[in-house]
Amino acid sequence: MTETLRLSVDRRDGLAVIYTEGYINNQGGEEIARSAYELLGEGYKALLLNLAGTKIVNSIGISILIEIIEKMLEIEGRLAFCCLTPTIEKTFHIMGLAQYAGIYSDEAAALAELRRA
Amino acid sequence: MASKSGSALAPPAWDEILALVGREAGERLLLQRLLEAWCAQREVAEAALYADGERGLERAAAVGVAFPEVLAGGRPANALALDVPGGVLVFRPSGPPPPAVEPLLVLLASALRQLRLERQLKRQRFQVNYRGVELEALYEVGLAIASTLNLEELAEVILLRAVSLLDARRGALYLLEKERYVLHGTIGGDAVAALAAFEAQAADAALLPGATHLLTVSITIEGQPRGLLVVADKESRDGVGPFPLADHRTLGLFANQAAIALENARLHRAALEKERLEREMELAAEIQSRLLPKQAPMLEGFAIAGWNRPARQVGGDYYDFLHLADGRLGLTVGDVSGKGVAAALLVSTLHSAVRLLLDRIEVGPALLARLNQHILESSAPNKFITLLLAELDPAAGVLRYVNAGHNPGLLLGRDGSLRTLGPGGLPLGLLPGSTYRSETLSMERGDLLCLYSDGVTECLSPADEEFSIEGLARVLLQTRELPLEEVIEAVDRAATDFSCGQPQGDDQTLVLLRRD
Repeated sequence: MTETLRLSVDRRDGLAVIYTEGYINNQGGEEIARSAYELLGEGYKALLLNLAGTKIVNSIGISILIEIIEKMLEIEGRLAFCCLTPTIEKTFHIMGLAQYAGIYSDEAAALAELRRA
Repeated sequence: MASKSGSALAPPAWDEILALVGREAGERLLLQRLLEAWCAQREVAEAALYADGERGLERAAAVGVAFPEVLAGGRPANALALDVPGGVLVFRPSGPPPPAVEPLLVLLASALRQLRLERQLKRQRFQVNYRGVELEALYEVGLAIASTLNLEELAEVILLRAVSLLDARRGALYLLEKERYVLHGTIGGDAVAALAAFEAQAADAALLPGATHLLTVSITIEGQPRGLLVVADKESRDGVGPFPLADHRTLGLFANQAAIALENARLHRAALEKERLEREMELAAEIQSRLLPKQAPMLEGFAIAGWNRPARQVGGDYYDFLHLADGRLGLTVGDVSGKGVAAALLVSTLHSAVRLLLDRIEVGPALLARLNQHILESSAPNKFITLLLAELDPAAGVLRYVNAGHNPGLLLGRDGSLRTLGPGGLPLGLLPGSTYRSETLSMERGDLLCLYSDGVTECLSPADEEFSIEGLARVLLQTRELPLEEVIEAVDRAATDFSCGQPQGDDQTLVLLRRD
């Protein structure tokens, strides 16, 4: 069903999209954080996490995502999520992630909003 | 935290520091700026401020060459350390040691405390929120009971929810199918594909190869096992470990919810399967009904009628009327051993074979021998067919017949005499190389021929007595001059009355031929 997380990154015009596939747990979260911090180091201040390939996230994964959001707030960057399953979207709302990061149903809408901000 | 190497001597940016006070997520940046200000004031090029954290003293701000992220093995060599409330300031002085108390250090300590309080608040908020997620998970599985009847979708929802809810690194769901637990989903790695039910307890530890800490709960309905929900390796930021007792209770609660949902889905699937089979049976019944004559043939000087009622939707009885060369008429009644779909399929085979062979072979021993061979080759070893096949020459009033193990047909004479059409060989499909004998008889005006299946004569009374050939003959004798449809109705009524309305035990068939 779901193996460990696989990541890919698409850099485009000052924005970077991180695509995930698999379980966002401790290992998966660390992978995302590593990738996000690399992108920040490269100067990207607007990141989009496309979770179309992810059906499951646990509390450790969420805590790591919150750390990434905090880091983005510190540098006054922007982070958004798109293509979440209904369950993950509801979880993000309950956990407060939606307060600090935009959640969009599709990638085009998320990119448009990140570019506008 | 990013350091400002080489900027330690830059003057403090007080306006920026002031702006950071109270800013959302600004605590760490405030600490960083205050540390930079302190370093600038004291001309310190390398410093790090550590705060009490989950992993010990964790670096919260740094200037210059980075000190380690966590002070796990004591304070760094060649560095001074100043204890501040809630942490420690480590630095490499470039001049004389600074005083232990000074305004910027007080500000640093205050910001450190604010950071610690913020972290505590965030942890508590996180835990409270996550309780909400747990409740939501249980609620959603409850909802799934009512909304998801697809077994595979439901199994996935249950597994995803259980694994994420318990912060498990891995998980698997097994459902009991024919005394075996069969894998229906796995997360985080491979799992054993199936195991015998009696092995479940002993094999727990081996279900997820490579996992260290397993927690397994049985999914049961009214005490009967239906599946296994397995999670493994509880995650934390430091790695994996065993599941605490609270998780055992949570998973048990989850399994109870899942059991009801899975049982609903299983029953739904069973109902769909039953519905599908019923549709197929209806279709089979319709196809079989088309094999029977739609109406009896018109033959001058003779009245002809046929009737069939299967005990189930499809049956193993068969009758047919066939127009043969020179105005002759073929009549046949057959009965396949057994009932239901298997019998119906063989009826279909027989129907086709009789029609095809009669084009080439006339009614007689050779035809029956050929049919016997055909049925032997195309049916199961324990299946056979009794068949009475007759050919009427209407001009001469002569009936030629072969009886392959079928119930003896009855010929009621106008004078009330009764003659039977006895066996002329074994049933079809019983033995290879069977031989058959044909007989002939004359039909006079008023003679009534009755071919029937044993479902008519062997229908039982509540006292287990058979309606019998005598019972059938009695009704025929009383009604033989009526229109044949009424004769059939009379036989049906008499047999039904005899059985006192008990369910029909076998297929029933009647073929009547009267010379008028």
